[in-house]
Amino acid sequence: MQIKIPFLAEGVHSGTVVSILVKEGDHVKKEQTVLELETNKATAPIPSPASGTITKILVKEGVEISVGQAIMSLSEEGAAKEPAKGVGSKPAQEKEAPTITEAGDASEEYTYESKSGALPPASPSVRKMALELGIDLTKIRGTERGGRITVKDLKAYVQRLKAGSPQKSEKPAPVSIDFSKWGPVNRKPVSSTRRTIGQKMYESWTTIPHVTQFDEADITALLELRKKYAPSYEKKGARLTVTGILLKVAVQALKKFPIFNSSLDESKNELVCKHYYHLGVAVDTEQGLLVPILKDADKKSLLDLSIELAQLSEKARQRKISLEDVQGGTFTISNLGSIGGGHFTPIVNKPEVAILGVGRGIVKPIVKDGKIQTRTMLSLGLSYDHRVVDGADGARFIHEMVQGLEHFKEEYFTIRQVEEKKTAKKTTQKVKR
Amino acid sequence: MNPIETEIVVVGAGPGGYAAAFYAADKGKKVILVEQDKRLGGVCLNRGCIPSKALLHVTKLITEAKESTARGITFGAPKIELDKMLAWKESILEKLSQGIAALAQRRGVEVLYGRGHFEDSTTLRVETSSGQKFIKYETAILAVGSQPAMPSAFDLGNKRIMTSTEALELEEVPESLLVVGGGYIGMELGTVYATLGSNVVIVEAMNSILMGVDSDLIRPVKSYAEKAFKEIRLNTKVLKMETSGKQIKVTMEIEGAKKEELYDRVLVSVGRAPNCDDLGLENTKVVRDEKGFVKVNSKQQTSVPHIYAIGDVAGGALLAHKASREARIAVEVIAGEESVFQSVIPAVVFTDPEVAWCGLTEMEAREKGIQVTVSRFPWSASGRALSFDRPDGLTKLIVEPGTERILGVGICGSGAGELIGEGVLAVEMGATVKDLAESVHPHPTLSETLMECAEMFYGHSTHAFVRKRSPQE
Repeated sequence: MQIKIPFLAEGVHSGTVVSILVKEGDHVKKEQTVLELETNKATAPIPSPASGTITKILVKEGVEISVGQAIMSLSEEGAAKEPAKGVGSKPAQEKEAPTITEAGDASEEYTYESKSGALPPASPSVRKMALELGIDLTKIRGTERGGRITVKDLKAYVQRLKAGSPQKSEKPAPVSIDFSKWGPVNRKPVSSTRRTIGQKMYESWTTIPHVTQFDEADITALLELRKKYAPSYEKKGARLTVTGILLKVAVQALKKFPIFNSSLDESKNELVCKHYYHLGVAVDTEQGLLVPILKDADKKSLLDLSIELAQLSEKARQRKISLEDVQGGTFTISNLGSIGGGHFTPIVNKPEVAILGVGRGIVKPIVKDGKIQTRTMLSLGLSYDHRVVDGADGARFIHEMVQGLEHFKEEYFTIRQVEEKKTAKKTTQKVKR
Repeated sequence: MNPIETEIVVVGAGPGGYAAAFYAADKGKKVILVEQDKRLGGVCLNRGCIPSKALLHVTKLITEAKESTARGITFGAPKIELDKMLAWKESILEKLSQGIAALAQRRGVEVLYGRGHFEDSTTLRVETSSGQKFIKYETAILAVGSQPAMPSAFDLGNKRIMTSTEALELEEVPESLLVVGGGYIGMELGTVYATLGSNVVIVEAMNSILMGVDSDLIRPVKSYAEKAFKEIRLNTKVLKMETSGKQIKVTMEIEGAKKEELYDRVLVSVGRAPNCDDLGLENTKVVRDEKGFVKVNSKQQTSVPHIYAIGDVAGGALLAHKASREARIAVEVIAGEESVFQSVIPAVVFTDPEVAWCGLTEMEAREKGIQVTVSRFPWSASGRALSFDRPDGLTKLIVEPGTERILGVGICGSGAGELIGEGVLAVEMGATVKDLAESVHPHPTLSETLMECAEMFYGHSTHAFVRKRSPQE
């Protein structure tokens, strides 16, 4: 016989296996706890329904299982041996349905599982359609013989999803408006870059619950330092920019709060923490927004970052950017300060979980040490994916950014001897700008 | 010289490569197809599937003529004109490859004849007869295939030691032929040579011919082979080969005992190796596995996302139809569509009788501990099989208990290869045994064996009696 998860409580349909308390071959007594299941209400001990020997354990610790699902095979005491499988013999339990999730009438919790490990029964065309729609066929209960999923089942499931989803407002079919009724206009096609930006933004905005946290950093001292070191950078052919400095500060903050350097793998319900720091920098080009990636920003000096930033931005503007240059980012900085404007709410660059929007540094009267002083204040806006990051962490991260900018160490500016030589070569190769 | 620019370059024009090139062209892409051979079609068309089936067709006639005596028709001894036979075989290959070339032309696929070599991950150098050409591509599809493996111990440079390639050239019908390897290539070509008059000995290192195929499906092949071949030696290892005058001296080890024998020719059919050498793959970041096959994901992408690999070079089952399916996946992914490899790959062995299967096999179910119910229908109960005197066949269904879903189909018998298509459809569609049992199949045909096999599952096949079981049993 098989030990199944019994009815536990109203509203409890599934749980996570916390611990398995027996091994295959173990003898168990009736009512002995064989497994502990953590449900949304409490941790429930699962008892053995009879005395006997555990012949097979069908689940692993950490997996989610549902009420009615078989967890172990038990050879009952005194019961006849399981009939041998093979030609023609059809043991009684074969008549059981192989779909082991029977979560009552909560059909949305249905998950197809096959003892044979086979995919849900569905024709190739239905499978392809599901793939294109991003639908997981194991969630659909097929209505045809043998549980086969038809196009109709798929459509019904999609309808149900739409009805149940919080954003049920379907995008209405676009309507063309004749603006020339009100005045002269001209029309031009939307470039593919523009369309891609649009799609990405729409996707991020509609699928990520955004929160934007604001703060301001006093960069008066930082600007002084920049002024001091700019000439030596100039000599190396590099431009010392606030963005370059922001990269440096961001890496430190990301290291301190690694969750901002992660991604959410929704298909596996896992958080992917990255041990590399590839920072995206939003660049304004004629074609629109592009975000080239500065790889391994944590391993680079301010000088290297400045040089590479200039090269990447130039490549982006000249449309010479390769696919490799825009993939694999872990965090993005969008600095609009050179254009103007204060705080703004950037949209997270999916699959990243956070983005920093930087406005113009503005000279303001500020109360410092009990006195009103004029200081240059940089406006920061940190948008993050609230599914991954909590508000407190958001505040901590932006605070860390502010601290990093206000107490930026002078030693970061100095160009080391080794670099002197290295960059000497680089600058000679450098593109004329 | 300016490089030729293209959206897609396909390297290798076998059943994977040309399928990919054509499909991509049909989707409006600019495609260059690179082939080092002077004829398109790859191993399948030139040195594999097609020529071997042509030869098997001829030899089947000989067998049938011989067997007709028992049915009251006696033919004289066949006169075999090898030259004419090979010319006929050649004409088929020529016709097919010209057909491919014509299809390429009509689709605007540019064919470049020459050896391809990756300079880096965006440039392919092609050594054509009119000098080097460079192709700058956005996407490459690697479809360079595989070749027969020849262990260095056997590679004496002696033309009497053949791989399938030379064996299909059929230079002569040797008096004695040793086939090393009892897989499908050895069994098929062994059949050809045996029918033409060679004394064929098959040696196999494992304990069965056609390893990996369900034993009940092999049984009819075994009993045929035992008659047609001089000997089948299992659990036997070939240790050494030496040239000995106009013969090959072969040393083998049979269950611990050494044995030396002389053969006129030897066919080595011990597997196939990917054609990855001298391809410049080291200039890209394409990663290969320990056997040398190129690693790909379910979208056929190599570790360099804009370089795809399909067919034999990507490993797995080395079958033409697998390559063609992978070609479609790769092109669809390149075109930005959602596509992954998820198909059932049927396999056919063209022995006498043929063996074909798809989906889950009984052996695989046993290995993986998957509980299945198997239904078998012997061809001795098929009127059609009896009418052409080949009752030595079997049709079986591998069924998921409970749902009665058909997980796999296995067929052994004359024409099994043509029948398995229905099995593939059943498995792909997620059909149940009832679906098959309730589909009317035409009489008298072999396809009825599938329907009757399904009926057997419920214990009420018309032409085979099954002892009644209680429904709950």
